[in-house]
Amino acid sequence: MIYFDKVSKIYSPTSIALEDVSFAISPNEFVSIVGQSGAGKSTLLKLLLAEDRPTSGKVFFESSDVHAVPPGELPALRRRMGVVFQDYRLLPQKTAYENVSFALEAAGKGDDDIKQDAPQVLELVGLMDKAWHFPHELSGGEKQRVAIARAIVTRPDVVIADEPTGNLDPLNTWDIIRLLEKINDLGTTVILATHDKEIINSLERRVVTLEKGKVVRDEQRGRYVL
Amino acid sequence: MDKITFRRILKWGFINFFRNGVVSLATVLVMSLSIFVIGSVVVGSSFLSGVISSLEEKVDISAYFKPSAKEEQILALKKDLEQFPEVRSVKYVSAEEALEIFRARHEGDDVILQSLEVVGENPFSPSIEIKAKDPTKYGSISKFLESGRYDNILDMDDSGEKKITYRQNQFVIDKLSALLATSRRAGFAVSLVLAVISLMVAYSTVRLAIYNSRDEISVMQLVGASRPFIRGPFLVEGVIHGVIAAAFTLAVFYPVFWFAGAKTSALFGGFNVFEYFSENIFQIFFILLVSGVLLGVLSAYFAVRRHLKV
Repeated sequence: MIYFDKVSKIYSPTSIALEDVSFAISPNEFVSIVGQSGAGKSTLLKLLLAEDRPTSGKVFFESSDVHAVPPGELPALRRRMGVVFQDYRLLPQKTAYENVSFALEAAGKGDDDIKQDAPQVLELVGLMDKAWHFPHELSGGEKQRVAIARAIVTRPDVVIADEPTGNLDPLNTWDIIRLLEKINDLGTTVILATHDKEIINSLERRVVTLEKGKVVRDEQRGRYVL
Repeated sequence: MDKITFRRILKWGFINFFRNGVVSLATVLVMSLSIFVIGSVVVGSSFLSGVISSLEEKVDISAYFKPSAKEEQILALKKDLEQFPEVRSVKYVSAEEALEIFRARHEGDDVILQSLEVVGENPFSPSIEIKAKDPTKYGSISKFLESGRYDNILDMDDSGEKKITYRQNQFVIDKLSALLATSRRAGFAVSLVLAVISLMVAYSTVRLAIYNSRDEISVMQLVGASRPFIRGPFLVEGVIHGVIAAAFTLAVFYPVFWFAGAKTSALFGGFNVFEYFSENIFQIFFILLVSGVLLGVLSAYFAVRRHLKV
């Protein structure tokens, strides 16, 4: 479903983020991308989201080269990928409910669908009681759960989580990971970038390990080895 | 764009305007300042141009005819003059009309009226009053009259100079026309500079306000919002800023022009800027509104465009 084809991203000769990276992700997989800070995890995800362009190589989402998609069609492509960031990136002027419904509005969903789906997803992440709170009134774990709700409410084909637990305490970390597992069980592909050893070892799913911009290991039921 | 998207854009524009609180207020204030300058320039320059036109209107030259000149001859000359592209109007004043005007002007002044009785016959000569479209053209009109074709009917003084007031008033007319031309040019230049400065100030403010939202804009793009859906609410906010700023500026203009009118009407020969303002208040509000909305929307458009590149 997703295919990185000999992708390199070179910022400058001394700063090579990715070098000749190739691997594929199948539908309904749960893939962890691991590596130390600076190994190229975030760059890889940015390239998939077409937030940045590769220096060479191609990134395919199904049959389309994401960097050859015309700007007008990029939003539609992005709506098929839900994103979760380490720093949540909620819209600060919108309530939790509005952050979630914004994704649906952006997708052009009708009001009735929004009234049905948004509360349902907030219920799923356990935040219906704080639906009308603004992000600054929520804790880190709550913000991240809103972000996940926003990422999945449009029923994307893949959820991309870039260090989603980086700013959270252990209890919230496991909440988030369990949510991601649940999303995966419901049929959505999940790509999780992390450097949290415990998470990787307990997940027992596919692990792609990056080191200095190169794929050094790609194992089913992998463990965190660096 | 479908109806539902349009409605959502409107909704978010209004909500964002209120939630942005202080930033919205600051933007409206700076924009009011800009429209205030633009409005003052518009009102000031059209008022000034009204004053200048009325001064130009007051300039004319008269040519006096011999008592023996026949009316047909004078009317023929009038017709010739009216053919000139530089001439705006020519008015024939017969000797009798001149006498009537003189009497009316000095009504109640017995000494002067009595002196008329003493003279006995009508001491006035027939004349024509010529107004040019442009005060600098009086020289050439005067030259035409002096060319010799009309020597037989134009009156002359003892030294043989024809009685054309241009000669006598040439200095004043030239000075005045130079002054008027300079005022128009200076007024235009000042207006242009002020307008450009105020546009830049307003644009910078909107850009700063939207720079604040750059992270939001990039998140919206990653969430899959289309460019029009992201840009729309900012444009709606721009319209709101413009409308409020225009209304606010009009409210400030009222006392300002009232005060300025009272203080400066003597300076402009009885012209009162406040009267001009209150007579044209709807047009002025329209200009303020259009410039406010255009300024708000265009600034927002260009400011958002810079961040819509992820």
